[in-house]
Amino acid sequence: MKMRKIEMGFTEPDMTPMIDIVFQLLTFFMIAINFENTKADERVKLPKDSLAKPPVIKPEHELVLNFGYQRSASGARQKPVPEIFYNERYVEVRQIMPDLEQEKRVMERLHGNEIIKDVTVLIRADSEVPTGLVQELIKKCQEAGFTKFSLRATSEEV
Amino acid sequence: MKLRNRSSGPTKVEIPMAPMIDIVFQLLIFFMLNLKIVAPEGNFNINMPIGAPSAAAAEQNLPDIKVGIVSDRDGNLTQLTLGSKNLGNDDLAFERLNKEILQIIGRPGNPLTKDVEVEIDADYETQYKYVVKAISKCTGRMDPGTKQVARYVEKIKFAPPHKPKA
Repeated sequence: MKMRKIEMGFTEPDMTPMIDIVFQLLTFFMIAINFENTKADERVKLPKDSLAKPPVIKPEHELVLNFGYQRSASGARQKPVPEIFYNERYVEVRQIMPDLEQEKRVMERLHGNEIIKDVTVLIRADSEVPTGLVQELIKKCQEAGFTKFSLRATSEEV
Repeated sequence: MKLRNRSSGPTKVEIPMAPMIDIVFQLLIFFMLNLKIVAPEGNFNINMPIGAPSAAAAEQNLPDIKVGIVSDRDGNLTQLTLGSKNLGNDDLAFERLNKEILQIIGRPGNPLTKDVEVEIDADYETQYKYVVKAISKCTGRMDPGTKQVARYVEKIKFAPPHKPKA
């Protein structure tokens, strides 16, 4: 009688190994995910360089400017002039001034009046953008009061 | 007797696993969908003080290294120059630039040439990638064996921008 009962009763599968693996996977994805790069705009095709290593010390305050072309899915340019992708809008370099001033005002309100000297402007420019326009953008930023600049590139394995 | 035995003795308590597994799977799916594999990005700092060029470098009597990038109307590289020296326009031009910079500073991390600045003078149309490449070649070199970066010149600045070619 006893024997028969065991045979009839449903056996619960052993969940422990599965849960172990699932937790491993969970941990892996949690570590691999980086929310930091959310500002990185995929529409910009950055130049590649082997020396571009992620900075050891991250600047405390930064302003990321994505500068590139509007491209179709196949990568063809839809407009001949590169634009700055600023808050879901497309702004040409010569019209960026009001936005830069607004950024400055917001930062000053949040962190005090001297903050502008500590803000690093990260320029993520497309590899095909004319250099003159990048320089113009830097000049505009200087006029707005920003002083530190960084150029972004994707690090490339050699 | 039976009751007493059950309450006092060590009994195996089954923890309900199902809700936990549900939640863990939810989390797993959330993180899997949010995972975006992006190549790590690095920075090149450039030195762009407002107003007049820095007086410090002039005082120390260290001449700036001038790197010129000449391009055609489409932004393709036509000539890379260092001072008045022509380095050509092929892929090897940037390697030549790298070697020349090393010769100028002597050895990587040389304290005597710590304050040397490189001035990048690029045509308006030059594609940005050439500028980044030139900056990279001036800032250092990666040893292919050890993957260590030897730093050459840390200070990079831009010359005043040119007018676009008519």
